Amino acid sequence: MTTPEAHTAQRARSLLEARPIRHVVVLGANGTMGYGSGALFTTAVPRVTFLARTREKAAEGLAAAQRAVRSPTVADRVKVGSYEELEAAVADADLVFEAVTEDLALKRGFFERVDAARSEDALVATVTSGLSIEALVEGRSESFRRHFAGLHFFNPPSVIVGTELVGCRDTAPEVLDFLEAFGARRLGRAMVRVADRPGFAGNRIGFKVLNECAQLVPEHGVVLVERLVGPYTGRALTPLATIDLVGWDIHRAIVDNIHALAPDEAHASLALPPWMRALLEAGTLGNKSGKGFFRRDGKTKLALDPGTGDYRPVAEAKLPELGFIDTISALHRVGRYREALAAFASAPGEPARLARRVVAGYLAYALHRVGEVTETLAGIDDIMGFGFNWAPPGALVDLLGAPVARRLVEEAGLAMPRLLANANGGPTRLHHRSLAGVGKYFVAG
Amino acid sequence: MQPEVFVLGGYQTDFSRNWTKERKHFAALMRESVLGALDATGVDPRAVEVAHVGNFAAELYCRQGHLGAFFVEVDPVFSGLPTGRHEAACASGSIALLAASAEIEAGRYGLACVVGIEQMKTVSAAEGGDFLGTAAWYELEAKGIEFPFPKLFGRLGDEYDRRYGLRDEHLARISAINYENARLNPNAQTRTWYMNERHALCRTDDNAQVGGRIRISDCSQVTDGAVAVFLASRAVAERHARERGVAVESLPRILGWGHHTARLAFADKVAESRDDRYVLPHVRSTITDAFRRAGVADVSGIDAIETHDCFTTSEYMAIDHFGLTAPGESWKAVEEGVIALGGKCPINPSGGLIGAGHPVGATGVRQLLDAHRQVTGTAGDYQVDGARRVATLNIGGSGTTSVSFVVGC
Repeated sequence: MTTPEAHTAQRARSLLEARPIRHVVVLGANGTMGYGSGALFTTAVPRVTFLARTREKAAEGLAAAQRAVRSPTVADRVKVGSYEELEAAVADADLVFEAVTEDLALKRGFFERVDAARSEDALVATVTSGLSIEALVEGRSESFRRHFAGLHFFNPPSVIVGTELVGCRDTAPEVLDFLEAFGARRLGRAMVRVADRPGFAGNRIGFKVLNECAQLVPEHGVVLVERLVGPYTGRALTPLATIDLVGWDIHRAIVDNIHALAPDEAHASLALPPWMRALLEAGTLGNKSGKGFFRRDGKTKLALDPGTGDYRPVAEAKLPELGFIDTISALHRVGRYREALAAFASAPGEPARLARRVVAGYLAYALHRVGEVTETLAGIDDIMGFGFNWAPPGALVDLLGAPVARRLVEEAGLAMPRLLANANGGPTRLHHRSLAGVGKYFVAG
Repeated sequence: MQPEVFVLGGYQTDFSRNWTKERKHFAALMRESVLGALDATGVDPRAVEVAHVGNFAAELYCRQGHLGAFFVEVDPVFSGLPTGRHEAACASGSIALLAASAEIEAGRYGLACVVGIEQMKTVSAAEGGDFLGTAAWYELEAKGIEFPFPKLFGRLGDEYDRRYGLRDEHLARISAINYENARLNPNAQTRTWYMNERHALCRTDDNAQVGGRIRISDCSQVTDGAVAVFLASRAVAERHARERGVAVESLPRILGWGHHTARLAFADKVAESRDDRYVLPHVRSTITDAFRRAGVADVSGIDAIETHDCFTTSEYMAIDHFGLTAPGESWKAVEEGVIALGGKCPINPSGGLIGAGHPVGATGVRQLLDAHRQVTGTAGDYQVDGARRVATLNIGGSGTTSVSFVVGC
């Protein structure tokens, strides 16, 4: 019986058979993304070469990869070496995967060497999350550009499967098709094709929301913002804790980049709060520096007061009445997600209005990006779901119902995205997947 | 003519989810599986006439009994529906299927929903292991023993070793195949985990021993999950087919079933089978009963198997009990690639209990749904090309309650 499923599987199979990947070279294998991706490649590729500044650094990367996946067997498929061995290793590679420091000149230097050493048919990919793919291939040979793409794994690759695939102008369609099949079928990734825009799709949309939450902190406080934009709104991790986890420096790099290069209707939401910039310069980097929006003092969880830079116990924060969150959580708990979102949409009071403003901001911003960062909403929905573990915007609209979603956008004073304006609120849905499993994004409480 | 039971399809929740971390009650888990099954099949909820729930131990894991009543909570139209819950340890799901299909055969109802469900991540691994011990003879085999079940299935391996010889390499290959297949299954719990045959052979703490010869890589998973399927009489199936413009003969049926219960304690089972060629003869009878009822002469008439690999030793046992090799020679099918995807008779294309996960009460229903997917060509990346007849084997306890189905068009 030939079904659409069987047809897609068959096409992917023939793509994969036509281009066996026997040897991958990882550049920058001692970095988090380098060894994380390296470990992932060993699941599907018989030979992986870890290269770093020194052989010792590469060996540290291998040890970290083994720790990350808790298996000594990573070493069975990995050789380590320094960049002195780059040419020899690359000459024999089917795929060169670049994961060195996010610095345009540095990466270009590596690509120049790869260009000279690679075989005509070898693929080259970069894990960059911020640099322009087009800028990275400037000056490279035609063959290099045809075989080049961004393959943006999210950190840590062993856990998060959402992956962005970005071509440059000259990338051969066959190369993108192959990488999509390889990522999906060999590496278990949820592959999303995105445009070469600052922050691509996931970080562009995700960090806009995160930064907006940070901007709300001086007026409303860390604890209230976290509660209002909490897991009940469709995310595994609260926004400010997410910034602490990724690091304030990384957050700054991402939003500064988008703010400078992609002015859009939400330009102001992407401006890093000046107090964050000041605290950053004084060493507040999030979890890796032991303090961010949150800090721990023994068993006590403390929250930042951005005015003074002091920390106060989370438990002592004075919060307004938030009973609506309990009501919504109780509905999530028994799997009544539509009713939960209806309760969210109609909850009275200023705190609920603020929470709706952030969620409406997410929906509107994401829907406005269709056509700019991805061709369709499907890509945005997938990267927000599989990359950020946030309820996909299209699924949120479907659960709310288009008329309610429109009201939320209007109440927030935001421009109405065309997709939402045209949604009829009937049986036509925005989200491309079955809504049956959408409950996984909503945490009760 | 024997009345027929059609399988209209169903829905499986993503077995990688942790519903405790999501702070969800199993009511949410059940609701998703049933609404998902309605969505996937296009069945009108008002047409459902009866519901059967398979569940092992919600009283222990969730301090809640009376699971049949939770079906009614899914949708107001189910108010008043006859429902019930069935328990036979890890075979609970298949027992629910047997009850539903018996009612359809008897002509009592035309359309039944069967849900298998278990939420297991509510407790620590040690406590959960103790709960699972109640699937054995608790006082004799589990009380005060840490992780009793790996030890019992370690003894199954030991019994094979004693009678026929058994090599760890073959168990490691079985584990690796299940994990490899799971990578192709978007609902499999371990689909993104790092695992390979070399790791399964690791004899370090990275692959720690949990009971005799059983190591972590030999074990199925602790899983939260639910699966719902619809079973239908010919009359209902004909209507369902007509509404979709397909021939009723294109819809899969339960072609045959087998069901036997052996003595509860593992030592008693082994003592009984001392002079038998099969280590677990009642498992063998379960399979041959299903074949006979399906009109299948032997395993050569089966295109794929979804078996109960709660441990690699149970799959090793299933290989010869299905008749893929002579008794004691399961290793040959492992070595010759018979059971791998692409082999002559792939076992667990879904990843099985080791790869896809093992929410105890849901497993039998999950196996039936995967059999349905295979024979309708809708299994996606884990499709067995041209599968027409697929067999399942679901086992409760240490080979105690066994149920097998043959599904095909």
